[in-house]
Amino acid sequence: MPLIEARGLTKVYRLGRVDVPALRGIDLEVHEGEYVAITGPSGSGKSTLMHILGCLDSPTSGSYRLDGRDVSGLRGRALAHVRNRKVGFVFQTFNLMPRMTTDENVALPLQYRGGISRRARLRRARALLERLGLGERIGHRPDELSGGELQRVAVARALIGEPAILLIDEPTGNLDSKAGAEVLKTFREVHDAGNTIVLVTHDPNVAAEAARTIRLVDGEVAA
Amino acid sequence: MSFLESLWVGLSEARRHLGQTLLSLVGLVLGTGSIVTVLALFGGQTKITQDFLAEVGGLGTVIVRDREQSEHPTARDLASDRLTYGDARYLKDRATTLAAVAPGWFDRLEYQVGAVHFTGPVIGTTRDYARINDIRPLAGRYLSDLDVRRKARVIVLGWKYADSLFLDPERALGELVKLRGKNYTVVGVMEREEFYFAVWSGNALEYRNERAYIPITTAFIQYTGDDEHLSFLTLKARSPTGARAAEAQVGTMLYLRHGVEDFDITPSGGGANSDADFFMLFNFIFLVVGVVSLVAGGVVIANILLASVVERVREFGTRMAIGATGFQIFAHVLAQVVVIAVLGGLIGLGLGTALTGTVAHFMKMPVAVTVVIAEVALGTSLGVGFVAGFYPALRAARLSPVEALRYG
Ligand SMILES: Nc1ncnc2c1ncn2[C@@H]1O[C@H](COP(=O)(O)OP(=O)(O)OP(=O)(O)O)[C@@H](O)[C@H]1O
Ligand SMILES: [Mg+2]
Repeated sequence: MPLIEARGLTKVYRLGRVDVPALRGIDLEVHEGEYVAITGPSGSGKSTLMHILGCLDSPTSGSYRLDGRDVSGLRGRALAHVRNRKVGFVFQTFNLMPRMTTDENVALPLQYRGGISRRARLRRARALLERLGLGERIGHRPDELSGGELQRVAVARALIGEPAILLIDEPTGNLDSKAGAEVLKTFREVHDAGNTIVLVTHDPNVAAEAARTIRLVDGEVAA
Repeated sequence: MSFLESLWVGLSEARRHLGQTLLSLVGLVLGTGSIVTVLALFGGQTKITQDFLAEVGGLGTVIVRDREQSEHPTARDLASDRLTYGDARYLKDRATTLAAVAPGWFDRLEYQVGAVHFTGPVIGTTRDYARINDIRPLAGRYLSDLDVRRKARVIVLGWKYADSLFLDPERALGELVKLRGKNYTVVGVMEREEFYFAVWSGNALEYRNERAYIPITTAFIQYTGDDEHLSFLTLKARSPTGARAAEAQVGTMLYLRHGVEDFDITPSGGGANSDADFFMLFNFIFLVVGVVSLVAGGVVIANILLASVVERVREFGTRMAIGATGFQIFAHVLAQVVVIAVLGGLIGLGLGTALTGTVAHFMKMPVAVTVVIAEVALGTSLGVGFVAGFYPALRAARLSPVEALRYG
């Protein structure tokens, strides 16, 4: 059974009286342990697709099964729970909480999950940061970290809840080539550890890392 | 998300918007401070009223007054003997709800001591009058049962009369006082009675110092030609809470004897509210200041929160993306309010306590900030905070994650 199973996904944005179709019927399957890159020109719908796959948004039509459950009809609170447990999202701009330390940032998803003491959450966060080679950065704030380090903290935050899938938007867009290479190495390690990764990129080098590349054009999967 | 962590976020937000936080604090502090003061003063006034009631005989004292006869009396009115000494003896023997009965005859007579003449009130009564009204002689004694039985020509002077006629209460004892030409021997001088509703008002009980008491039987012989008609009856219920039952029983018994309701029964302590209007104005001003400050504080808080919500839209989007529910976002924003509201409430409580203390000092009023008042003040502050914070929190909670992440 595929981890991600999307059928005929469409998304139409309404801008005043004009309908803007961002996705026009996407079929997509991603199996457990896959490493998939989504590429395509600007405005082709990559981010829109990622938002739907990450349960941040719901499709206008079509069905979406994540880890065996149809989530295309879920809204609000139910969707928040799915995001918290099944999805790890890494943002292009990292979106770390500036006034929290790295370990507090990484522990945040567990806080929303509830039922885990603050000590246990921070212990897990620190262990994960150690594993990703950020042991030295525990207790630091985001403004003391380099771009590559920030990206890896963001990855740690995405992984802390042991999600079914890791979704990464433009991972190297805000990094220089050295930091980019560092981050790609981290992704490979994370993938080798058994995680499923779907990432969006413009960069052919990044896409080359993935086992499979899906190209979007005008909201459709190009052949 | 634990409550403590939400509070911590709230505290750091409050620090980041220090200027606005201080502004809203001023509103909350003034508001709660005023409300604390109003409640404390109100409590003080209630206490004063209670003290006054205790001073004039306390709860459980009941007064029966002879009712003015109407201009066109009915046959029943005319048939009634009206309020009499006989009624007093009857009630004393039969009324089970009463602990004491004191009949009262009242008139204004001419006093004469040496060359001094003046007209003043005289009360003819019995020993129980002092007991019911809780008044004591300063020198000598009060009227006794023997005085009443013998219809003795003895007089007990109010403090003011003794003081102005004889300069010294002790010296008054044994002296003669003429009441409408009849000589009386002074056997006692009463304690000075005083009660002040506030420092600026006069002695509310001064009238009690300007009178004299004689045995009721003597009054009848000397001044009424043995007409035993009473001006009033002062009664004491068996317990402070028994006044109602006593009023009912006395009313029934007197009605049966008179055949007509030609008397009025009132609980003691009328006139306790002479300064109430002044207090009301005082309370009203504080209350208006309090409410206006609270509303202003609330508006400022709502504005701070709205600004902070707009500033944090991306943060909320991120939090939602990693699993925060709308309700959890709502709680984040309200936590900020709790910090400000508790702080404002506590400082306001301090201010109110200080203000109350000042008022208490200068007006010599028995006011105090009680635990209940403190709770009401903190509750009010929190309530204002929640009302002000509700809309901003709702806006944050209703953000769509995608829109919030695109923002800025
Ligand atoms: N919230 C929105 N409201 C209206 N239109 C939107 C919204 N989000 C995206 N769109 C439109 O939908 C289309 C797809 O946008 P999307 O952001 O998914 O593209 P993208 O492939 O991620 O582009 P980029 O490479 O520039 O990030 C675009 O035409 C965009 O203008
Ligand atoms: Mg995009």
